Amino acid sequence: MTPPTDSRRGFLGRAIALLAGGTALLAPAVWGSIAFLNPLRLKGRSGGFRRLASLDQLPEDGTPLRLTILDERTDAWTRYPIDAVGAVFVRRTGKDRVEALQVTCPHLGCSIVYQAAPGGGAFLCPCHQAHFDLNGKRIDLPSQSPRDMDALEVEIRNRNEVWVKYQTFASGTAKKIATS
Amino acid sequence: MLHWLNDRTGCCDAWRRRADAPLPGGAGWWKTLPAAVLFVFCVQAITGFFLWTYYSPGAQSAWESVYYLQSEVAGGWLLRAAHHYAGQTLPVLVGLYLIKQVFSGTYRRTYEAVFWITLLMALCTLGLLLTGDLLAWSQNSYAATQVRVKFLTLLPGVGEGLYRIAVGGPAFGNLTLTRFLALHVGLLSGGMALLLILHGVFLRRADHNLLPSPFGRGAGGEGKGTKAPEPALTLTLSQRERGLSTFWPDQAWRNALVWLGILAVILLLALMHGTEGPDRGIKLGSPADLDPAHYYAAARPEWIFRGLYQFAQYFPGLWTVIPIFVIPGVLLAVFLLMPWFGKNVVGHFFNLLLTAFLVSAVAVLSYLSYMHDAQDPAYSAALKEEDNLAERVIQLARAKGIPPTGALTLLRNDPLTQGRRVFQQHCAACHTGAGVPAVDATAPNLTGFASRPWLAGLLDPQKIRSADYFGYKDSPFKGGRMVGHVMELLSDLDDDEKEDLKKLIMALSAEARLPAQRNIDARDAKDIEAGRKLIAEGEFGCTDCHRFHGKGQRVGPELTGYGSTEWITAITGNPASKRFYGARNDRMPAYAETDDETKNLLRNHDLEMTAEWLRGEWFRPKK
Repeated sequence: MTPPTDSRRGFLGRAIALLAGGTALLAPAVWGSIAFLNPLRLKGRSGGFRRLASLDQLPEDGTPLRLTILDERTDAWTRYPIDAVGAVFVRRTGKDRVEALQVTCPHLGCSIVYQAAPGGGAFLCPCHQAHFDLNGKRIDLPSQSPRDMDALEVEIRNRNEVWVKYQTFASGTAKKIATS
Repeated sequence: MLHWLNDRTGCCDAWRRRADAPLPGGAGWWKTLPAAVLFVFCVQAITGFFLWTYYSPGAQSAWESVYYLQSEVAGGWLLRAAHHYAGQTLPVLVGLYLIKQVFSGTYRRTYEAVFWITLLMALCTLGLLLTGDLLAWSQNSYAATQVRVKFLTLLPGVGEGLYRIAVGGPAFGNLTLTRFLALHVGLLSGGMALLLILHGVFLRRADHNLLPSPFGRGAGGEGKGTKAPEPALTLTLSQRERGLSTFWPDQAWRNALVWLGILAVILLLALMHGTEGPDRGIKLGSPADLDPAHYYAAARPEWIFRGLYQFAQYFPGLWTVIPIFVIPGVLLAVFLLMPWFGKNVVGHFFNLLLTAFLVSAVAVLSYLSYMHDAQDPAYSAALKEEDNLAERVIQLARAKGIPPTGALTLLRNDPLTQGRRVFQQHCAACHTGAGVPAVDATAPNLTGFASRPWLAGLLDPQKIRSADYFGYKDSPFKGGRMVGHVMELLSDLDDDEKEDLKKLIMALSAEARLPAQRNIDARDAKDIEAGRKLIAEGEFGCTDCHRFHGKGQRVGPELTGYGSTEWITAITGNPASKRFYGARNDRMPAYAETDDETKNLLRNHDLEMTAEWLRGEWFRPKK
């Protein structure tokens, strides 16, 4: 009864060839992919509250100031002891009330600019022309931005110090999801 | 010798088969398109390899290595320009080839595989353009790529993860460059090479299937179950005489001419801006600046993506996912199925219509996008600013060399660039200064601050109450002591007193050691010495209120070192300190209130840059 043996051996041979060959080729691809996907593990640096300005430095008429967030920044193997890691718009909304907005556009991460104008300016994202009012609310609906500008937590400490919790948020989503 | 080689490798036989294979439908100019694609790819492989020998991916070295190639390496600029423009012709040629296949009907049997391969080549080409654009690491390439990769985040759920994988971390940086380089020169270039080889094999096979016996398997032969006859290895003279053209030389000479033509076009484009000067070849732009405060507002995708860019504008917010992912995805699927649709006349007609519609839509949308930009003053302003920045950084790099921290450091340490920027962002809300007008002038004009003419104006009873000095909007100083003092004491001066005032102004101005006054300060050393005495103990009464070299009261700002970099940095750091205005400070913010730079509005370095910019103290290239 040779035929069944032959076909069994033939099957075994094919199975071994495919499995062994496949495994041998797959292994380096898997190692490589694990390394390649490493960025998924990296998190943005979480800032916590930081002192940004004194209250009396902010214009009383509510004009926003664009302040750079200075911090240590790490770019893979390079560490910058002090560098611009982001920026915020800070403005007074009352005698001792302050609002802070992330400058990064919630649409695709461009930097929003403040456009001064007589009688009150507005915010504009130059990439895809999303407009926001001074509170960061979208105007000219429908807007390119999926949500309003991201407000940051602000605390007034020791009466005169403006502390802001600097965070970044996921772009391209209607929901405000913190990424740091 | 050749015989031996052929025996071992079969190379001559292979060439024979290739050269003498008859072409269905004969030779023709349209048939040069795949050869043209192959040629441009070869140009890219060759120029790309040599570019690679100079390129260093990294946030502090990518732009710098390209700058070096562009400006220091013999013919480097031409190499880069050729690679750039050849890269621009690639999507045109692949696109033309696709259109040609659709319109000539040769996407259907027996050419389905050729058509699919061409589609994949088109995708690969777009990928090469997208990854290659970033590698120069200039402001435009960074900002435009940033937005394009951010599109990934629009994909619900997986978006953020895909973005990180593409970018190599939470934000652009070193790893983005290493990744994009690997994709560009490895995966995508290798993929393109493989596709070109497969294209050749499949095309030969499709031609062969279409040719009548004895050259092929008979017209339209699907070859189901029938064994293909052996291909004819050589044509006899009589066969050639029957009008069947072969690849060699009928198609080959056309291909070669087209190659020369393309090369001429690439060279013409590369030489468009001459062979001298910073504009030769293609501009490099200024180095990518990741500081969001310096974001490049005129970032636009390359022309090939312009239509899509414009199309996406019509879809607000999260709907952007439709033009960017859904519609291109559906279109790709439709194109892959085209050979199947094309089996009947209606389907073929649909394919023709769709292709024609797409081509015209992209053309119209691109046109609209360019028109929109041409009419946008903010866009032109951003372009101009970027041009200036690029010119400046190259000027600095040429004169000073690039430090290990990269070319961006040159701009950060350049008062003309950084000082002006800081002034624009933080000071120009109230102050006018050296060509930067105030948004709403509510503070003195600082143009020429501490120079002799500026001080002469300040100490002029006619001018001190003007908007340029203490007469600005809502000024508390308009009726203040200084104004009163000047009005009272300096109004009716006799000639001797006028001379004394001149010396006083010279002396005070000399405290600043302004670079523009270096010569006249040296010339007037005697008068300046006399002026110093007048300030310290003269009848003008300066030291009644001001401190000057250890003498005088601290009521108004100190005059020692008035207008020097140290003085300006200190007063902008904290104008309400005892040394300056104290409690009488008007609205001027303290930009460096604490000793910890991270807690201040500005870094000390930025204050210094602004001071030097105001003083006109920056590098000027020798003519």
